[in-house]
Amino acid sequence: MGGLRTEEFIVNMGPQHPSTHGVCRLMLTMDGEKVVKIEPFIGYLHRAIEKICENRTYAQCVPIIDRFEYVTSMSCNQVFSLAAEKLAGIEVPERAEYLRVIMLELNRIASHLIFYGVTAMDLGALTPFLYGLREREMIIDLFEMTCGQRLTYNYIRIGGVSRDIPKEFVPQCRKAIETIRDKLNDYEGLLNENPIWLVRNKGVGYLAPDVAIAYGVSGPSLRASGVKYDLRRDDPYSIYDRFDFDVAVRYNGDCYDRYLVRLDEIKQSIRIVDQALDGLPEGPIRAKVSPNFKPPAGEVYSRIENSRGEMGAYILSDGSKKPFRVKLRGGSYNQLEVVPVIGVGGLIADLVAIFASLDVIMPEVDR
Amino acid sequence: MAKLLKDIKNLLLGMCITGKHLGRHAVTIQYPEERWTMPERSRGIVVLLSDKETGELNCTGCMLCMRACPTAAIQIDAPRGEDKKRRLKLFTIDFGICCFCGLCEEACNFCAIKMAPMYEFSTVNKDDLFWDMKKLQEIGRDVDYVDTRKKKPAAGADKPATPPQAGENKNPEGGTTGEKQDKKEGEV
Amino acid sequence: MSWPLAIGELHGIFRLLYGLLKDTGLPQPWLDTVTYIVLSVVVFGLLSVIALFLVWWERKIAGHIQQRFGPMRNGWHGWYQTIMDGLKLLQKEDVIISTRDKVVFFWAPVMCFVAAFLAYVVIPFGDGLIVADLNIGILYIMAVTTFTVISLLMAGWGSNNKYALLGGMRSAAQVVSYEVPMVASVLAIVVFVGSLSMVDIVKSQSGLVFNWFIFRFPFGPIAFITYIIAGTAEANRTPFDIPEAEQELVAGYNVEYSGMKFAMFFLAEFINMFTISAVAVTLFLGGWNGPFLPSWIWFVIKVLAIVLLLMLFRWTYPRLRVDQLMEFAWKFLVPVTFANLILAAWMKYAGWYW
Repeated sequence: MGGLRTEEFIVNMGPQHPSTHGVCRLMLTMDGEKVVKIEPFIGYLHRAIEKICENRTYAQCVPIIDRFEYVTSMSCNQVFSLAAEKLAGIEVPERAEYLRVIMLELNRIASHLIFYGVTAMDLGALTPFLYGLREREMIIDLFEMTCGQRLTYNYIRIGGVSRDIPKEFVPQCRKAIETIRDKLNDYEGLLNENPIWLVRNKGVGYLAPDVAIAYGVSGPSLRASGVKYDLRRDDPYSIYDRFDFDVAVRYNGDCYDRYLVRLDEIKQSIRIVDQALDGLPEGPIRAKVSPNFKPPAGEVYSRIENSRGEMGAYILSDGSKKPFRVKLRGGSYNQLEVVPVIGVGGLIADLVAIFASLDVIMPEVDR
Repeated sequence: MAKLLKDIKNLLLGMCITGKHLGRHAVTIQYPEERWTMPERSRGIVVLLSDKETGELNCTGCMLCMRACPTAAIQIDAPRGEDKKRRLKLFTIDFGICCFCGLCEEACNFCAIKMAPMYEFSTVNKDDLFWDMKKLQEIGRDVDYVDTRKKKPAAGADKPATPPQAGENKNPEGGTTGEKQDKKEGEV
Repeated sequence: MSWPLAIGELHGIFRLLYGLLKDTGLPQPWLDTVTYIVLSVVVFGLLSVIALFLVWWERKIAGHIQQRFGPMRNGWHGWYQTIMDGLKLLQKEDVIISTRDKVVFFWAPVMCFVAAFLAYVVIPFGDGLIVADLNIGILYIMAVTTFTVISLLMAGWGSNNKYALLGGMRSAAQVVSYEVPMVASVLAIVVFVGSLSMVDIVKSQSGLVFNWFIFRFPFGPIAFITYIIAGTAEANRTPFDIPEAEQELVAGYNVEYSGMKFAMFFLAEFINMFTISAVAVTLFLGGWNGPFLPSWIWFVIKVLAIVLLLMLFRWTYPRLRVDQLMEFAWKFLVPVTFANLILAAWMKYAGWYW
């Protein structure tokens, strides 16, 4: 095949694009239809959250950190509160722990429903998005009934939760998770065995387990490559050691397995919520935290299992009522790092599928 | 051949699922003719509450809400008069900056500020989002609230007995804040 | 049952008008020309209304599949939404790039639109309701629908945009690849009937429902399925809608068009969809045959059923990747349709049918 001169050209998958979730610029070097090199450019959604937190008291930091990853805002609140509680040695009452677990798992279900809808939409099936959001409405109605907001909750505070659940919460919550459990059959029937879905996702974007560990990928993307690592099981925080649930693991490491792992996780979260609702004790919902909360000087790093991986908060305190330094760690950053590694060699259509299946959320990357 | 039949069956299954929805009623409502009733804890707009009998503002100018606000959306000017009491001169909230977190409502001890479930306040001009005391009080008159202030004794003492505590939450319903109910914890 | 404008009345109106025209004393060739022009204008008007209806119907069906309403504001359930959208598009600024290829850029949407409409000269809307019963009916349709390929390439080239060119070439490759299985499926039926004329094909399915070619096992259903799949790809609908997808990077041939030119491409797509369905109904579902109701009503019902099927395809399935699409056409559909054609020919020759 001599004598034919080919040239690589650069294509900009620009900051505004329907399938980069948020604003992320990918500069692709392409040889014909194949992608040869990917260079991500981030920072379009940087809001200086960590710097802002240096000038706010701990109670004021909580609504700011809500916006760190607004799709799973309860987890952001939780990780910061855990860090502050560890630093100051506050013990959270039982009822508050159970409520926190219920809210976190409901938020995980909502986030995975969004993942389901958005991944399908990126690949051209426009209906599952509406179905996923229809079920998510039920969950955020529950949140609105409890804390008043639908996206940035400011609910899990230092020492407990801010308000107790109203009496309609438990029956409505049970009805919601029953409905979601039924509708999962619909979702699976629509896409799981669909030959077009399989041919777009199976075998695409293989992520080897050692590559994943080397880049620090965590969460469902790691578990789809066969590494059975879940912080709720391996480094339990809160009261997760009391619940009986399985860690969803798949072994092929391609986009299809990443999709299946998240659907499995919805089922496991439904189990946890059921058990938590059954075992919900009475009691106070917040420990006594002084209005001028001043934790002792020191540093702490606490981490939780978010729907996108390991989410961590590092607080360096100098004994005053404002933290000296807050550092937030989100799982999407590492998953974005892995995109240039596994996206190379395929077509652009494959890149869209890979980006969608890794569930990268730009606010978590840019903070 | 078997794989081909399985593929066709799965394709038809997908179409059956979407086709099923053609017969179902829609789950959306036609806004603005039909409106959703917001839950009562919904964090919409911040309003200033007035006393139910006298109609005066409950606010005493203690500035706890201003100190609690993470984005400095509340501006208060309440200088002390000759009788050492604060007189509320200026109370504005900039809803372009407010992040609707609800910390001001929790900080207040005098049932003076509340988040009402009102969400239709968009304007064309950004300056119209700067609400002053009069507008906050006017919108607040339509908001119903449970008065949990300590009643003033008949002798006419000025301040309530307990010192204000910021950051603690008031729950008219549900669990209590400080006391542990030990007798219930042993039960399964 | 006296339906308004049922078959007898329609024929009566046309005969009356023809009689009036003859009375004016024009020589015969002029008479024929005027007749055909009038009929074409009638069909054009009908098709414009059909295109508007189909756009509205697609949005309503999509809405109800997704458990929402679709257009509701303009008229009862939004029936004149499309007219309003058309008026809005007329007011849009026609953004024209200065470095375009002027002739090619201008004529591409015109070509697409004309190619879409040309096929309706031979589609039988009912018993005796056809503009011209050419004896090469179905061949004419296959030939004319290929004009869209030229318009795609013209659009891609004239935009002076390398992504539009790539998109245009991809769409052209897709349409050309799927022409082969489409024609082979149609040929299976034509071999069976023995004539290319549309009216003959419909007439040979008269009688019982089981005379319809979709029930002629085993080649009937296979030909129908492959025809529908190839037709979906011809009309650039999901799962084959690479050129129109916003999520793909290479944006497609119509990226540089705005305003009314864009509307031409858009409406031509819906007209194409109607053509595919109309041909499917004529060849496989018995055309205008049916009891009790006038024939044109049966035709409309059947065509709308196939259009509903195509819409369900769009709103259920994800998109195929470009190389998978081509692989599917050449490695799967072409062998299957050719085997089907040989089977149909053998069955006709050996007389193995009832």
